[in-house]
Amino acid sequence: MANEFLEPITEQTFYLNMGPQHPSTHGVLRLFLKLDGEYIVEADPIIGYGHRGHEKMAESHLYEQFLPNSSRMDYLAGLIFNHGYVAAVEKMAGIAVPPRAEYIRVICAELNRISSHLLWFGTYIMDLGGFTPFLYCFDDRENILDILDRVSGSRLTYSYCRFGGVARDLDDEFIESTRKFIDRLRSRWNDYHNLVTKNVIFIHRAKDVGVINRELALRFGCTGPILRAAGVAYDIRRAEPYSIYSEFDFEIPTGTTGDALDRYMVRLQEMEQSLRIVEQALDKLPEGPFRAAVPHKVRPPKGDYYFAVESARGALGYYIVSDGTSYPYRLKARVPSYGNLQVLTDVLPGTLVADTISILGSIDIVVPEVDR
Amino acid sequence: MSLEDLKEELSKVVEPANIRSRQHEKDGFFLEVEAKAKEVEALAKAALEADCFLESITAADFTEGVQIIYQFNSFSSVSRTLVRVQLARDESVPTISSIYDAALWYEREVFDLYGIRFDNHPDLRRILLPEDADFHPLLKDYGKVHAFRSTEEIYGE
Amino acid sequence: MAEKELAPGPRIQFAVVEEILNLCRANSLWPMTFGLACCAIEMMAAGASRFDLDRFGAGVFRPSPRQSDLMIVAGTIAKKMAPTIVTLWEQMPAPKWCIAMGNCAISGGPFEYDGQYAIVPGADLIVPVDVYVPGCPPRPEGLIQGFLALEDLITKGEKRNVLRRFKRRIVKGR
Repeated sequence: MANEFLEPITEQTFYLNMGPQHPSTHGVLRLFLKLDGEYIVEADPIIGYGHRGHEKMAESHLYEQFLPNSSRMDYLAGLIFNHGYVAAVEKMAGIAVPPRAEYIRVICAELNRISSHLLWFGTYIMDLGGFTPFLYCFDDRENILDILDRVSGSRLTYSYCRFGGVARDLDDEFIESTRKFIDRLRSRWNDYHNLVTKNVIFIHRAKDVGVINRELALRFGCTGPILRAAGVAYDIRRAEPYSIYSEFDFEIPTGTTGDALDRYMVRLQEMEQSLRIVEQALDKLPEGPFRAAVPHKVRPPKGDYYFAVESARGALGYYIVSDGTSYPYRLKARVPSYGNLQVLTDVLPGTLVADTISILGSIDIVVPEVDR
Repeated sequence: MSLEDLKEELSKVVEPANIRSRQHEKDGFFLEVEAKAKEVEALAKAALEADCFLESITAADFTEGVQIIYQFNSFSSVSRTLVRVQLARDESVPTISSIYDAALWYEREVFDLYGIRFDNHPDLRRILLPEDADFHPLLKDYGKVHAFRSTEEIYGE
Repeated sequence: MAEKELAPGPRIQFAVVEEILNLCRANSLWPMTFGLACCAIEMMAAGASRFDLDRFGAGVFRPSPRQSDLMIVAGTIAKKMAPTIVTLWEQMPAPKWCIAMGNCAISGGPFEYDGQYAIVPGADLIVPVDVYVPGCPPRPEGLIQGFLALEDLITKGEKRNVLRRFKRRIVKGR
């Protein structure tokens, strides 16, 4: 148990339903809580309110037709999910990707990671009661969305990657606006730290709240910023480098205790590291084709394959069983929020209901990704 | 723990002939283990001893029955292991949720989507579909699929 | 004279008072925070600083159905979620309106295919919808256009909405 279990003072416990329609549950999550006054005795997250049947859809659609689905599973990190899917199928089918396309994919994926963390930051502080940072974050995020909209045509659910490269090439305006954006965001860190990180109320609500240590993370299979805040420097971009991440110089920020404040600091530092990667990629961007020629319908060889990428929330993996035709036989997306959400059954008992919001926000889940 | 040590630990539980090396560069796995349903708990204990975490439990439907796929991985050095358990129709598997808490939800999902029962699971109920649903959607004889094949056709040489 | 109401309204109606009330209702719509999936993010972006919904009077998103008069169904309706949506709709006090935002709420979107098992293909199968906003997801400007269309529905015409200080120009041939 991460927290000391609080013995119920009275025999009168009652059941409270939080969700599925609730402003702070980040989607349609239902928390079935057994309460003793304000303290939680048992917590049972109930999911499935956003189940859309992605995996069954994959079994009757072509590989190419599943690409829009991949973006809609986790819509905040849609490009990273896209990237993972096309890279998985390319590895299966042995398709080589030109270097310029790899750089473009990395730039767009890191920009997507920053926009996902910015949205998390705004909504987390809004859950705790501070409405102002939400507006600042969305303002910064609109910059990124404009940049990505220009090149991919979509603001949120991109289907920008294609087998063998990307759909469209970058132009000079993209590069210029990205560089301007990097400078602008760097000048904002002071604002965010002064507004939020040094705020006494925020520190009281986040420090020592929801401690998830390494042992708990191992038992529940948590990955991503939760694991890194517990002190484990496990990042798929370093552990199993994919695409061209091995060419970039970036750090993996870690925390010490694994409380909500550590998770918050890890994500803020990750945004800065993503900016570093984007800068280095823009400097080294090579010329060349942006898409390789691939057959009209991709037909990977038989067998099963797994491909892992680092999404904004943790380790994402695609497990694909192929029977040699152009339709997948079985496609499973191992999503990071599935393990991250389950840890609530262990962390919540013994805490106050108000802390639940803080813990749930700091874990950063996206419910349609859990439900698929 | 290195890959060789992990292989040694696992070969104490299953026959060494059922442990195969795979090429991580090609398909993402280092080791593959074919196990029977009753060996699953001992395998999970060995993986926990080796400081591995449970990455996912999933399943796939073939003509001879559903195949459950466990994936273990480790934080310190990537050593992704695939454990395959081929079941006959209506066979059940012991649960590993007493060893890995992550299995509680993964096994509920496999039960929900495929109908496989896990013995001694403390709370085996549906997780993604409504509670009163009476079908298991990812079985190949439900809904629209492209193909229904046997393991020989896909994994056979 | 009883006017034909498009949404449930009071039984006794006075013509001029009704018009004034409709004007007030249209320019202060209080939406319920009801994001189900991806479209929820565009709804939040429409309420944020760039595409400000507050200038139309619709910036206060109320979490409780009892305090809101507009339900924006933003996202795919899974079969498990459908009874909840109906419950929430019935908890809202009249007069109330509903916007179906996004392709999933209009007709199932990308998840509706022959043989699907998981979703309800369209919000109008379970609640009465007034305005449909297409897109996957629709841009926040699209949602704002939906709001303006709803306001015109409530006041029965853009000309009668005297509180609106701009005129919408739909430029043909663009």
